This record gives sequence, structure tokens and C-alpha cells, in this order.
Amino acid sequence: MKCSEVQKRQSAYIEGIISAEERVLIDEHLKTCQRCKESLADLRKTVEYIQKLEEIEPPAWLTQRVMVRVRSEAEPKRGILQRLFYPLHIKVPIEAVTAILIAMTTIYIFKGIQPEIKLAKVPSQESTSRMFIYKEEKTHSIDEDKPAPEKRADQFRYKAEKEIPSGEPIDTAKSSANIKDKGQVAPPSPMVKQYESKRKDIPYELRARSLMEKNEQGISFVIDVKDIETARKEIEKIFTQLGGEVIKREYTKERSVIIAKLDSVKVNTLYEKLKHVGEVKGEAVALKAQEGEIEIKIELL
Amino acid sequence: MKGRTQKTSDEDHEFVSLSKRGDIDAFEILVRKYQKKMFNIAYRMVGSYDEACEIVQDTFVSAYRNLKRFEGKALFSTWLYTIAINLSKNRMRKIRTQLYHEQLSIHDPVQTNNGEMQREFASKEPSVLERLERRDIQEEVQKCISALDPEFREVLILKDIQGFSYDEISGMLTIPEGTVKSRLFRARDAIKDCLRKVMGDL
Repeated sequence: MKCSEVQKRQSAYIEGIISAEERVLIDEHLKTCQRCKESLADLRKTVEYIQKLEEIEPPAWLTQRVMVRVRSEAEPKRGILQRLFYPLHIKVPIEAVTAILIAMTTIYIFKGIQPEIKLAKVPSQESTSRMFIYKEEKTHSIDEDKPAPEKRADQFRYKAEKEIPSGEPIDTAKSSANIKDKGQVAPPSPMVKQYESKRKDIPYELRARSLMEKNEQGISFVIDVKDIETARKEIEKIFTQLGGEVIKREYTKERSVIIAKLDSVKVNTLYEKLKHVGEVKGEAVALKAQEGEIEIKIELL
Repeated sequence: MKGRTQKTSDEDHEFVSLSKRGDIDAFEILVRKYQKKMFNIAYRMVGSYDEACEIVQDTFVSAYRNLKRFEGKALFSTWLYTIAINLSKNRMRKIRTQLYHEQLSIHDPVQTNNGEMQREFASKEPSVLERLERRDIQEEVQKCISALDPEFREVLILKDIQGFSYDEISGMLTIPEGTVKSRLFRARDAIKDCLRKVMGDL
């Protein structure tokens, strides 16, 4: 047997896991081969060293340390779970409550904003509704004590007295002594509108009266015309041209009367034009420079 | 130290069952029983005292966690050893990559001995004279063992140090018996050559 072969089988030889025949061959070789003998001896020594390696003593605290870690693995596993859930038990309700509060706040704010939006968009509707209320208030009874509508009515009166100093002698204005709500000031434009529309709602008699009373400041003409019908038409045309408004017409067999409104500035122009229509007689021309519109009464003969 | 008897398995079975049911004191008995063996396997594998301490702790903690999975078909001790070896190999890989990176860094030059890479040891490198004076063969042996590749190392440790049979090792490492043998022989030869270099005559 060659050295190389023996070398290969050394370990097995030592372990005793070779066949009997092989063993004999190797033994034979070893008798003569020093190298292989030494090599084998070294191998045996090596294994011996390895196997004789002493067991090293671990530190004394090792077992304790192990058990500390094992114990922390054991019990507080539930504790950890509990810790995980514990805050959840608190967190979830807190978060839920917070979410609800936020939602409520949002809705509250939103509701707070909404009416303003409505007001900005549709003021006319508001005034219409208020008109209705006032109208009803007027037709029924003024002295009735309705707290809410009366408040509004008071607003009207208060505003009326404030904005129109010409002294509209409306019954309601007279009767109103109680201005309860001075504090409430609604936006001016709707109020003014309300007042103007209010005038239209006033019963006819009152209105007429107001007209007539205003006539004291107005002008009246008497015109002698040939043809009343033609003259009438012409006069109406004139008023239209001048931007006036015919308010009342009274056409009977005996007389024709036209009552119109006209800007006081244009009265002179009117006069000139009326001259063309017919003979202007008996004029009570109060040619005062008055501001605004004037009632003009024209009588045709 | 070498080999196990059937008695051991019977002894262990009772404590293992108790531990499974949450009896930590029973588990402690098992810890005390096997900690030294675990420590030595770990130490021989990684070559570091401190690392071995860590591995032992990790081994028992891992065993406790996975008690449910231990069905008792194999010996409890065998199961423990397997855990220890796997954890040791993981550590070795980590250390190796660490050392590798350390080699590359300028700050920390790795100590060398006769051109050989010292893997697990941050410790002193004595001269040949010092070594001979100390006659600390055991240390040299360990160094040579540490120089082995992991697959050879584990077989050598389990066979020649821990005394497991070829069959047991085959089961633990899940490799064929033939592979166990061939690896063992090659490991021994490598140690022999290494020792010759380090010590001169054996």
C-alpha cells in the first residue's frame, strides 16, 4: 500500500471503520514507513487533544440571567398584550369622543354660517315675508300685543320715523308709542323697500288723503280747451315726456281733471307746454323751488 | 460528559411537560442541568467567552418560546443542542462580516498571527516563545478549531468534544452519516496541520 493511500485512510483507521483486510494492509505499511507512522501518531494526538478539551465553566450568573429573561418572556406576555390593549381601551373611547366633538363643532359652525349665506343671497324674500307680516298686522289690529310680529312692526315704525321725515301721517305711525326694540336694526335696504311697498299696501282712502294733503304744496292749472279728449291725451303725453306720472284722472261730463306727479324742476317746462294745449287760466302757481316730485292738478274746461 | 442515557430522557420528559404547562420552576431545573453543555458548545463554536454567554441565554429563551413545537419525539437535550448550534452559527456569520468590514477600515487593523486571520479573538497574540512557555495547548487547539469552516467545526465539536454518535449528529445537522464522517476526518486533519504549525512537534 502506498503512503498516499494510507494517508487517506488514516482517520478511518483510527476510528476503526475499515475492513479487516484494509487494516492488515495498513499495518504492514506502517511497519516500514516512518512518515506514515508519524502522521498517524500526530492524528491520534490531535484527536486526543480535542477530546480532552476541558469543559469551560460558564459564569455563575448565567443561570440567573437566563431565568430573568425567560420569566420576562412568560408572564408579562399577557401584560404586554394587556398593555397593548389597555391604552386601546382608553384610546378608542377618547378618540371616539373627540371625533364626535369635532363633528359636532363642525356642524355647529356650519349651521352658524348658513343663515348668513341665506341672508346675503336672498334679501327680497326676507322683505316679502316681513311685508306679509306687517300687512297682516295692519289689517287686523294694531294694538294687538303680539310680541314677535310687533317687534317687527316697531322696527318698521321706528325706521319710518327715522328715514322719512316728511311726516307720513299714517295711523299706525300715530298710534305707535311703543318702540320697544330700538336695539334691533335690520339692514337698511330691506327696510326702505318695505316702507315703499308699504305705501302701496295702504288702503286707498288713506293714500288719497295723503295725496291731497300733499297737494297743498303742489300746483294746479285750469286750462280752457276746445276739445277735452284731445287735450287730455296731449297732456298725458306731456307728462310722459317729462318723466312724470299720471296718478288720477277724473273725466266727467262737466269737467276733466288730471292729477299727476312731476319733478318740481320741470314744472316750468310743463307750463310752457300746457300753454300750447290751451288757455291756461287761474293758475295757482307756487313756483317754489321744491325738491322732489310735486302733485299737479290740471282741470280742463 | 460523553453520550446520553435513556435515563436522561425520562428525567427530562417530566420537567419538559411541566414547563410546557407554564411551570417556570421546572424549566429552571432544565436550565441548570444543561447550561454548561450549551455554554461549551457555544464557546467552541464561536471561540468567545462573552459571545457564548449570550448564545446560551438566547438558546434557553428560544427553547422556552418554542416549547409548544417540541413534541418529545427527540431528546430534549438534542433539541437544545440544535438550537445552540444554529444560534452559534448565526453569531459566527455576524462576527465574520463584522471582522471583514473591520479589516477594510483604516482605524482598526486586525491582528494577525503568522499571516493567518484570527477570526473570533480580539485577544492578545503571544509570540511562539510565549506560547511554548505557557504550554496552553488548549488555547491553541481552540484557535485551530476556530480556524475551521463552520460545517467542519460543528461536526468536530459534536463528535470529538460532545461525544455524539454519527447517527445522532446526522439527525441534528440533518446531513447523511457519510457526510458527517468525511467532514469529521477532514476537520481532524486540518487541526493536526494547524497544531503542527503553531506548536511544532505535537
